[in-house]
Amino acid sequence: MKYLVLLLVISIAACKGDSPKPTTHTAEPTEAVGKDLMIALSKAKNFHHKARVYMSDGKTAEAIAAVREILSLQFPAGAPEAEDVRNDARALLAKLLVGQGQVEEAMRIVQEGLAQSQRESFFVANLYTVKGEIHEARAAQLASDPQKVVEEKHAAIEAYDKSNAIDEKLQQELMRGK
Amino acid sequence: MATDDDDILTGPVPAPEAEASPSERMRAKAFAELVDKTLAGRTPPPALSADDRALLEVATVIRAASGNVELPAAKRSALVEDALRQAIGGTAPATSGVVPISRARRRWVPWAISGASTAVAVAAVLVLWLRTPSSPTPLPPQARSLDALIGPIDREHAADAASRIDTIFADRLDSYRESLGRAP
Repeated sequence: MKYLVLLLVISIAACKGDSPKPTTHTAEPTEAVGKDLMIALSKAKNFHHKARVYMSDGKTAEAIAAVREILSLQFPAGAPEAEDVRNDARALLAKLLVGQGQVEEAMRIVQEGLAQSQRESFFVANLYTVKGEIHEARAAQLASDPQKVVEEKHAAIEAYDKSNAIDEKLQQELMRGK
Repeated sequence: MATDDDDILTGPVPAPEAEASPSERMRAKAFAELVDKTLAGRTPPPALSADDRALLEVATVIRAASGNVELPAAKRSALVEDALRQAIGGTAPATSGVVPISRARRRWVPWAISGASTAVAVAAVLVLWLRTPSSPTPLPPQARSLDALIGPIDREHAADAASRIDTIFADRLDSYRESLGRAP
């Protein structure tokens, strides 16, 4: 038995004695930003550029289709960038749809983004801004119904207020260093 | 005088229904007696033809494979007697094949080997557990939140997602390269 204890002690001493000190960090790059995230962001960037080219050619329908592709991109699970990039794409998509007269579809896109958001962000605030613009567009379409116009304008103001409230809260948090 | 029966491997093959010849019967009887004697523990005669020796080996193998090999009665009885004698405290004769349990317990070598292996494994685990770097290696910088990166979005720029994705991509690419340990 004493030989076993001796062997144990010698083994520990030998391992501790000549073990090289770690000089490199062995963590994978995914610890901070991973390859899958970069691929998803790269695709989103390319779809945005594609949409911009279509818009410059006046091909709004094709631009809308390109932006819609961003909504179905696969991001790594739990990546906060996913929600922000999608919300930004929704804001652009909704504005393009409003420009095409598809106000209700634009509202659906925005409402969907707000419902799926897990936290408040400047991108969510931007969605509220676009929501306000959609209410304004609705009010313009309902000029023959004064009551509806008032309701839509009130809804637009509420959306802008919500956007401002989120912006203010986030800026204060950033200034506090949170 | 050599006959066809003397060379059973290279001679003509008799028909399946053919009656055995007297010489075949004699040969079969002699071989059967040889097999019986061999299986009973007797040494086969040294002057044995190669064919007979091969057949004898096959017969021995078949017998062993059937699992019905038993020790001779005398041997079996001796082993039982030895075991009983040891059980009541007696000593076994030097020629006995029975190993006393007390002596079997002294087979410590396998235990020593397994104990040493276990000790080395425990040592390795302890080393892994105790070996902490003297100064923690800094982790790669965590990427900034996109809120901090982009900031508030003005109404005039609500649809400028394309320029924002460029900023986001460039920032994350820097972080990715830093985490890989390469300069951008």
